[in-house]
Amino acid sequence: MRLPHFEYAAPRSLDEALRLLAEAGEEARVMAGGTDLIVRMKHGLLKPGFVISLAEIEELRPISFDRRKGLSIGATARLAEVASHAEIKRRYPAVASAAEKTANVQVRNMGTVGGNICNAAPSADNAPTLIAMGAEAVIAGGKGKRSVPLDRFFKGPRLTALEPDEILTAIQVPVPPPYSGASYQHLSARGRVDISAVCVGAMTVFEGSTCREIRIALGAVGPKPLRALEAENLLKGQSWTADMIDSAGRKAAEEARPISDVRASAEYRRQMVDVLTRRAVLEARSMAGKRRR
Amino acid sequence: MFVGESLERVDALEKVIGKGIFAGDLRMEGMAFGVIVRAERFHARIASIDASEAIATEGVVRVLTHKDIPGANGYGVLKKDQPYLAAGYIRFFGEPVAMVIAQNERIAREAALRMRVDYEDMEPLNDPFLAAASTVNIHKGGNLLCRKTVIKGDTKRAEGQSHVVIERTYSTRRVDHVFLECEAGLAFPDQSGRITVISSTQNIHYKQKEVSRLLSLPEERIRIIQAPTGGGFGGKLDVTVEGYAALAAYLTGRPVMVRYTREESMLSNTKRHPLYMNYRTGAAKDGRLTFLEAKITGDTGAYASYGEVVALRAAVHATGPYQVPNVHVESSMYFTNNPVCGAMRGFGIPQTAFAHESQMDLLAEALCIDPLEIRKINALRKGSETATGQVLNHSVGFYDALKCIEPAWKERKKTGNSGFGLGCMFYGIGNTGVPNPSACHLTLMPEGKIGFHLGACDIGQGSDTVLTQILLETLGLEKNCVLLVKGDSDTTRDAGSSSASRQTYITGKAVFEAGRKLRSYLEEKGIDKGRSLKDICSEASGEGGPIFDGFFDPPTTSLDPVTGQGIPYATYAFAAHMTEVEVDPATCVCRVKKVHAAHDVGRAINPDAVRGQIFGGVAMGIGFALMEEFIPSRSKSLYSYYIPTSMDMPAVETYLVEDQEPTGPYGAKGVGEPALIPQGASIMNAIRDATGIRGFELPCNFERLCLLAEKV
Repeated sequence: MRLPHFEYAAPRSLDEALRLLAEAGEEARVMAGGTDLIVRMKHGLLKPGFVISLAEIEELRPISFDRRKGLSIGATARLAEVASHAEIKRRYPAVASAAEKTANVQVRNMGTVGGNICNAAPSADNAPTLIAMGAEAVIAGGKGKRSVPLDRFFKGPRLTALEPDEILTAIQVPVPPPYSGASYQHLSARGRVDISAVCVGAMTVFEGSTCREIRIALGAVGPKPLRALEAENLLKGQSWTADMIDSAGRKAAEEARPISDVRASAEYRRQMVDVLTRRAVLEARSMAGKRRR
Repeated sequence: MFVGESLERVDALEKVIGKGIFAGDLRMEGMAFGVIVRAERFHARIASIDASEAIATEGVVRVLTHKDIPGANGYGVLKKDQPYLAAGYIRFFGEPVAMVIAQNERIAREAALRMRVDYEDMEPLNDPFLAAASTVNIHKGGNLLCRKTVIKGDTKRAEGQSHVVIERTYSTRRVDHVFLECEAGLAFPDQSGRITVISSTQNIHYKQKEVSRLLSLPEERIRIIQAPTGGGFGGKLDVTVEGYAALAAYLTGRPVMVRYTREESMLSNTKRHPLYMNYRTGAAKDGRLTFLEAKITGDTGAYASYGEVVALRAAVHATGPYQVPNVHVESSMYFTNNPVCGAMRGFGIPQTAFAHESQMDLLAEALCIDPLEIRKINALRKGSETATGQVLNHSVGFYDALKCIEPAWKERKKTGNSGFGLGCMFYGIGNTGVPNPSACHLTLMPEGKIGFHLGACDIGQGSDTVLTQILLETLGLEKNCVLLVKGDSDTTRDAGSSSASRQTYITGKAVFEAGRKLRSYLEEKGIDKGRSLKDICSEASGEGGPIFDGFFDPPTTSLDPVTGQGIPYATYAFAAHMTEVEVDPATCVCRVKKVHAAHDVGRAINPDAVRGQIFGGVAMGIGFALMEEFIPSRSKSLYSYYIPTSMDMPAVETYLVEDQEPTGPYGAKGVGEPALIPQGASIMNAIRDATGIRGFELPCNFERLCLLAEKV
């Protein structure tokens, strides 16, 4: 359980980090908090010859909110910072809640939301809510900057849209529309301090009693976080009834592609997608009712 | 006054400031590391071992197989059947095959991966019922390790006179100890060739005997020292790293460290026995128990370890803390190709408590009697006779424990998805129906202090503190006049193992006896007449100075081999827990909200230490009931094996009952295992109250509960 030998650099600017990354190529891994990377290296699952830490790059750290552009979570903003950030708690409570429910205190004090996304575990706690809220990954690379909607960022277990010479610099979350609400629901064998066996994020926008917009994202029930598009269709443009919500839950369960592993069986996971989807959309609706702007 | 005070632990400071050096952190000049090569097969013959590549690795000192063992290649508390290194035959997944010794740990681990072992696989027997029926024998004598019986009265006749009979079958799974500190030990030879082992252990004198057999050296050529120990729970009673470190040090002539990763610990360590328990319990219309029949079948895994002890304890305690006039219990242990099951906090009683406490609730339901009431009706009390025919004449505080939780029970209010459950237990302190003495001695030291020579191992439970309190109370002297000389087979006497909740009661009594002798000596020398301790010490200390012995062996009898009748223990601890849970009906996730725990400990020498044990027992009981299940080859680390964290800890209200035990030191009994035993049972009864669903299989995790809910 010892770390293998590797080279390490902690550049002070993003340009310097990009240059080092371009030079090192596939040999290199980018590190934010290190709570996934270092553990995987200790277990011999990853053997990078070169680790580039983003910790010293000032511009990647801030969390900021702009009334037009929305929320920007810097790549090295820690989970604990996101969970306790006043503006996030007020305007994006589901984002704060997902960060709060990730891992344990120690990991939240070191690990980052950006790292949780780039690590691309199917069970990443922060992915479903951010996908549901229409977040984008802001990426810098040799060819310049680009943005990728988060629901197209994940390519498979531990696979992302990042090119080898690219670095995630921030996660951008749009301003929640008026009468919108979001929710994060998760479940695991131990309940707390655990990897989620199932997690669901939902965001809804209402116009009176009609659901104008809805996004549901499922975690830990497929090779990557999934959108439950058919379930969304059952609820979009509708004035919800109890039956509709039940059908949406069942539909989301059908859309899920769970496997059986040490966390839970595929059967249980599928059942729980149904339960958590219903809970998530109901909570999102109730949050929407409370939000006028 | 020291007894009854929550004195600060004697080891608190050194642990808090990081001064206590655990075995795995020890270093010595020229120290090599040993790594065990383990078979990843359940049942196989070893066709060949090719160590050439490992030996050729730079930095490798030597590779050992069973052929290198100078003495007996077998250890075990009762039956010496477990090989240190496999002699051609693999009986469980993780069995040691060879040992690689190298200059440093990294090289040793890398070289261990270069060992080539070829196997011829055999069909594994991974279930005790299969093992019982199979013609394949895992050991020469057959697959039955032992069968223990407790028979009293006539259950068949009593059944005819019963108003209600409940029959159910309960089962539990394999559980790992998950002590905080994994196994570690350092062994080194001195110039005369004498071998010293410093390790994380629950017993030093027992290990001295085992290592002496292994190396074929006289016991006095072996010295065992206990390093500060980060938990044991029974998992550091059997030989763990001591044998390997000693063997390597003996053969290479240099210090050798062996320390396990969590993965190695989980792969190699003994587990809690899975028990299958068929219970038939009868009661009269007024709730009085009429008879109990239990057939207990256990999976002891590949080697004997403490299997026989668990089988016997399960049989003796099968009734729970109740008066049952007619009893027929049969408790059998079978060898399988599963991990070795051994001693673990409670020795089989957390399992049987799950069965007898579920039965009590089922009887209460059938008879429309309140669950607390039916327990009060049947509670063992002064003058009661146990299933083994022992009449309890003193220190039977069970009824008082029930009275302690009665107000909380009566005031309980079910809201939404909450539920309340009771769990009770009795537990015999010390080993079962065999002598299990403790000895200690006191000396006078030239610096004016009393040398307190203590062979009992403090494994985190706080025995050093509690035993020091007993000594100080007996001497009536200042706190700083005692110097603890402990955990070293050279300087202390055999105080038995830190197991069976026995150290406070048995070693505590030995300390009391030694203390009394010293007290009268000091009085003779005029300590009460103004003479200082320092003065007395300087006169008497040194070679030939007086030694004050303490010895205690609790009065027990052996049990009749057929009927199990006799006096297995001198005294028993009693407890009642009441637990509140909340179960999400859709997800079946169960949270433990609050526990009321009442324990008759005889006398709480250190009340905070008693409460600490209770909190730890509650935590472990939550894991046992809701999460923990060790599946060989799949449960590899804490990534794939769940234990509760501090976030799962409920509020715990403790009630200490002090029905003093006349043979104990200042009336004390024990609490280490009792703290855990009723917890799982009370959770299961609470889940029934919350959901209407009764689980018969542990752990009752969300999946199992969901499956049960679907069936309803």
